[in-house]
Amino acid sequence: MLRDITIGQYYQAESVIHRLDPRVKVIATFIYIISLFCFNQLSGYIIAAFFFYCIVKLSKVPFKFITRGIKPIIFMLIFTAALNLLWTSGEHVLIQYGFITITSEGVKKMVFMALRLIFLIIGSSLMTLTTTPNQLTDAIENLFKPLNKLKVPVHELAMMMSIALRFIPILVEETDKIMKAQLARGADFESGNIIQRVKNMIPIFIPLFVSAARRASDLALAMDARCYHGGEGRTKMKPLKYKRQDILAYFVMFCYICVIVVTGKILPV
Amino acid sequence: MSIKLQDVNYIYGIGTGQEKHALKNINLEINDGEFIGLAGHTGSGKSTLVQLLNGLIRASSGTIYYNGQNIYDKLYNMRSLRSKVGLVFQYPEHQLFETTVVNDVQFGPKNLGLPQLEIELRSFKALKMVGIGDDLLDVSPFALSGGQKRRVAIAGILAMKPEVLVLDEPVAGLDPAGRDEILGLLKKLHNENNITVILVSHSMEDIAKYVDRMLVMNRGEIVLDGKPSKIFCFEKELEKIGLGVPETVKVIHRLQDAGANIIGEPITTEESSEAIYRWLV
Repeated sequence: MLRDITIGQYYQAESVIHRLDPRVKVIATFIYIISLFCFNQLSGYIIAAFFFYCIVKLSKVPFKFITRGIKPIIFMLIFTAALNLLWTSGEHVLIQYGFITITSEGVKKMVFMALRLIFLIIGSSLMTLTTTPNQLTDAIENLFKPLNKLKVPVHELAMMMSIALRFIPILVEETDKIMKAQLARGADFESGNIIQRVKNMIPIFIPLFVSAARRASDLALAMDARCYHGGEGRTKMKPLKYKRQDILAYFVMFCYICVIVVTGKILPV
Repeated sequence: MSIKLQDVNYIYGIGTGQEKHALKNINLEINDGEFIGLAGHTGSGKSTLVQLLNGLIRASSGTIYYNGQNIYDKLYNMRSLRSKVGLVFQYPEHQLFETTVVNDVQFGPKNLGLPQLEIELRSFKALKMVGIGDDLLDVSPFALSGGQKRRVAIAGILAMKPEVLVLDEPVAGLDPAGRDEILGLLKKLHNENNITVILVSHSMEDIAKYVDRMLVMNRGEIVLDGKPSKIFCFEKELEKIGLGVPETVKVIHRLQDAGANIIGEPITTEESSEAIYRWLV
């Protein structure tokens, strides 16, 4: 039932992209997202799409998985598209009906905005598909290390994040189990109005909260028993280390951003 | 009155690239009033099978008949099936949520839409059956001990008056006294109310002592089906799939291997000691 949730899902495969240092992937994704806002013509989108296509091919993740990430934002996508379409003023009016005015500038802006959002989502979902949550938090902890000087508890935040990520599948499974257990007792989660439905959720939520609290307290105890005392002096089992492929990946990203900026400057369409 | 499974397959995660064939061509008939033990190693498909029985999950292919009716028929009332086939999950105490013990037990019968008097009658009866005293009725279920919580959770299913009671590892994590209490309760329910009981367990001792018919699963298939005494003859095969036989049966087998003339197929401790005594005297 709930097992189909794909947030932060990792796709197991053996590829160059999977092997890259997670820091490279975080930074590259960041650069890619920024690059999407560096151009405003069709050629830029074609380059961005082609580049993305190449990376996906390299990563060996099926396209089906990547496009799945768009599903949850479809409503937002339609909403922004509609806003852009209706509220962009321009010279070339296509349709005028009452207070609705659609201009060709609006259509263009709508298409580009939607494309940008889609690229943004699928770009970041490629990162989570090829990086395990643990690698990801490692990378984030490492990248934000300089903030330690400003007394930001970087390690603790990263630890909290990795625990939270680690518990998502467990809690999803738990919810599934509790839901089935209550269904077996004749519970009904599908009929009734919205208030009734929320009320019907109580038999799921209470056991779920109780079990989350129990798990948290067990985990805290287990960490304490292994003398966990925060980030100070803590060493890693697999320390992050840049290899040749990582340097190469940075170089590829540098070339990509150069191409994007240059085409953005010289090509008119 | 029976449950019949015909060529049932179940596959987890279709279309995710990590498909798992959890049940393979299961053909099975469970007759009215049987006390069945379902044994199997972790991941052998036992839990999947029992969830199919009350329609919580839908088979990927194949059909299931309850009392001759196809439960996948469009007109079939799935919710009524769930009240007839009561399923007690592993660690059922994790599903308690109400403010008092008696309210929690009433959740099931309430969902069946019964009149209030009937709801109360059934829940008091169910609580009495599992041995929860009157002093605990208005206590929060979260304040009870582990064994008490489990009994309350089982009462929650019993109050729905199921015709078939399926229990997934009902004694996991209980001490010997608590275990005997719950298994004894099941035996009593089976004998007095003629409920069909399906007991999922990987403890061969528990199964040996209580059930009439035993099913052994391995990798999504039912590999053995029959009386426990017959099934325990396959000691080697059972060990190969990670199950083994009760210690007493092992002792008898070793004695027989060594040439002892022990008659019959004793399985419980009492039967075995008696058989050995008879052989010695």
